[in-house]
Amino acid sequence: MTSISAAPAPAPAPPAPAAAAGRRRARGGAGVTRPGLAWAAPATAFFALFAIVPLVLVAVLSFTTWNGIGSPQPAGLANWTALWHDPVMIKSLWLSALLTTLGVVVQTPISLLLGVWAAGHQRNRAILSAIYFVPLLLSATAVSVLWRALLDPNFGIPAQASWLFGDGNLLGSQAGSIGVLAFVGAWQWTPLHTLIYQGGARAVPQVLYQAAAIDGAGRVRQFFHITLPQLRNTIITSMVLMVVGGLTTFDTVLILTQGGPGTDTTISAYYMYQQGFKSFDFGGASAVALVLVVVATVISLAVVRLSGYDRMRSTVEGL
Amino acid sequence: MTAAASALVIGLTAGCGSGGSSAGASGGGAGVIHVLVYGDAGNTVEKQLVDTFNKTSKVKAVLDTIPGADYQTKLQTVITTSQAPDVFFNWGGGSIAPFVKAGLLLPLDDMIAKDPGLKANFLPSVFNTAVIDGKSYGVPMRGTQPVLLFDNKKTLADAGLTPPATWDDLLADVHALKAKGVTPIALGGGDQWPTLMWFEYAYDRVAGPGLFQKALGGDATAWASPESRKALGMLKQLIDAGAFGSNYDSVKYTDGGSPALLAKGKAAFELMGSWEYSTQQSNDPDFAKNGLGYSAFPTVTGGAGDPNDVVGNTNNFYSVLKTTKHPDAVAQFLKLMYSDEFVKAQLGIGNLPTTTNTPQFLSGSADPAYSQYQYNLVKQAPSFQLSWDQAYPPSAITPIHQAVQEFFDGKLDTDGFVKAMQALPTS
Repeated sequence: MTSISAAPAPAPAPPAPAAAAGRRRARGGAGVTRPGLAWAAPATAFFALFAIVPLVLVAVLSFTTWNGIGSPQPAGLANWTALWHDPVMIKSLWLSALLTTLGVVVQTPISLLLGVWAAGHQRNRAILSAIYFVPLLLSATAVSVLWRALLDPNFGIPAQASWLFGDGNLLGSQAGSIGVLAFVGAWQWTPLHTLIYQGGARAVPQVLYQAAAIDGAGRVRQFFHITLPQLRNTIITSMVLMVVGGLTTFDTVLILTQGGPGTDTTISAYYMYQQGFKSFDFGGASAVALVLVVVATVISLAVVRLSGYDRMRSTVEGL
Repeated sequence: MTAAASALVIGLTAGCGSGGSSAGASGGGAGVIHVLVYGDAGNTVEKQLVDTFNKTSKVKAVLDTIPGADYQTKLQTVITTSQAPDVFFNWGGGSIAPFVKAGLLLPLDDMIAKDPGLKANFLPSVFNTAVIDGKSYGVPMRGTQPVLLFDNKKTLADAGLTPPATWDDLLADVHALKAKGVTPIALGGGDQWPTLMWFEYAYDRVAGPGLFQKALGGDATAWASPESRKALGMLKQLIDAGAFGSNYDSVKYTDGGSPALLAKGKAAFELMGSWEYSTQQSNDPDFAKNGLGYSAFPTVTGGAGDPNDVVGNTNNFYSVLKTTKHPDAVAQFLKLMYSDEFVKAQLGIGNLPTTTNTPQFLSGSADPAYSQYQYNLVKQAPSFQLSWDQAYPPSAITPIHQAVQEFFDGKLDTDGFVKAMQALPTS
């Protein structure tokens, strides 16, 4: 997340207000002014207080044993060596990766198509879109409780459609429970990404479509040759959000599966909670948390770097 | 978390403020004792008792409640601070063991020596749950929750069956019910703890309470004993017979899934804590009144366990912190836990207290016959085994639940289960 919010800041420097320009000449010279460090101070202080300081504390805690009573006792590398040999930790990382990938693969095409469709201006679209965004208004907890009840094998949807669901043991098998988590995640978050794509699609200049239409391009060609390339940055934004959201998914797992059956849906974020607040092993939980921070940061940076997002190439260039 | 924590801080500070002013009013250095309880419907009785206590005591009691299931987590964060309560609600056993180990709790033996009623007025099988290393650390409060084998009377009658007296009867019932197309036993496997109840009773009936006590004491060989393997073999037989159907891990007790199976006659039995009655009463009052049957867990032929043994949540307890400035006032407060007023108030909200004077007031409960049955069950029990996930320290809860679920699903075999239980932390 930080990489996204940090990246646009130093981008094409807007012409500074005359007063500021008069007071503060940029060292870069040639009349270009840069925002002073003082302007960033409040944000930096906030970031330090609520992100850096807790992160450092978590790092320190990961070298201690602490069950919440009294003061943490130094434990050296014990938590880290235990984590290294912990099959559940490895499994949880794979599960997090799997759920995140599933989220991106399922939600991206659906929200992209829906978003482009919803970017139109007809009245019925606006009404349909409004209804469609309802899941976004519900908390993840409410959504999970709702689906938990709907998926009851004896009284819910599976009981009505046993030709499709068999005995309805969706949450009792690994494939079933991961499928349910991916589905509920998509049900809840696709509207958000649809909204992002809708905004992106509305920003595509109409002249491009008019020109393409004159050249005889149909709707499909227009989509692949204009809409999709123009939405490149939107796609990256949406995917980074999905990756970060996927890696930190927690509430749906807590309510729908509790990491079960066995450890089959114990994703890293849930594992961290389990270690900390069910087993009262805050040292071990801190180690899990740090692993998660590192993995999420590396993946976010990789997505931004590989996609060229960091170069901030404009999609409207050439106009 | 943060909001709740700060609410707690505000609550405690406010409590101190009012305590200070009342101390000033009574004119002589009297203080306050803070009583921390789990915030739920049971608080009405606790509020009433605090009011009763404050009418006569110079030291005033202040009731602080922590809402929600995060009680234990929040307790753990305040207990070493200056905001620690004087008296707090807990589940006995493993839930207070870490505090005892850290030297935070006051052994109550001196108080009991001065007022033997603090021990003698409670059922011994319940009182002993809060005895750690031979010292008493808790006085029972609220109600007992033994686990019973519930049944749907009509479903059983339709199949020509009666509640099983022995394990073999249970297996025979399972086959008969399956032949009728009924799921024999409702199980909320998604919650994991209902599955655990089957292990607790099977182990008790086969080996008696000694095996588990040995294992809890740190002797991991108990899990590998022939009795342990026999109990696991019996459970396996029951699972393989299809007693629980095939989708129990997608069913929960907590969202009403498994109680509905029983009430609607889709299943014939459910092994559950005594709160099954109040659950059914709120979901389907007619079924609770006329259709819900209950019996003790079946005996195992040749098993070492006494057929009268029960498992479950023995009770909740009040424990006292060593740092309390008013141990005498605390002792006076704890006295109320065996008063007539306490018993009547608890029965009034559907709880079954475990004091020796409870029987006098049973006729005033929601279902006197059910209350009487439960009371006798607990009273006659030579052993009342606290649920495994509460007897072990909190760090063992997750591994226990996982092992239990994986054994039922066939992902762990007998050796795998034994190994998982041997790896549990016991302190």
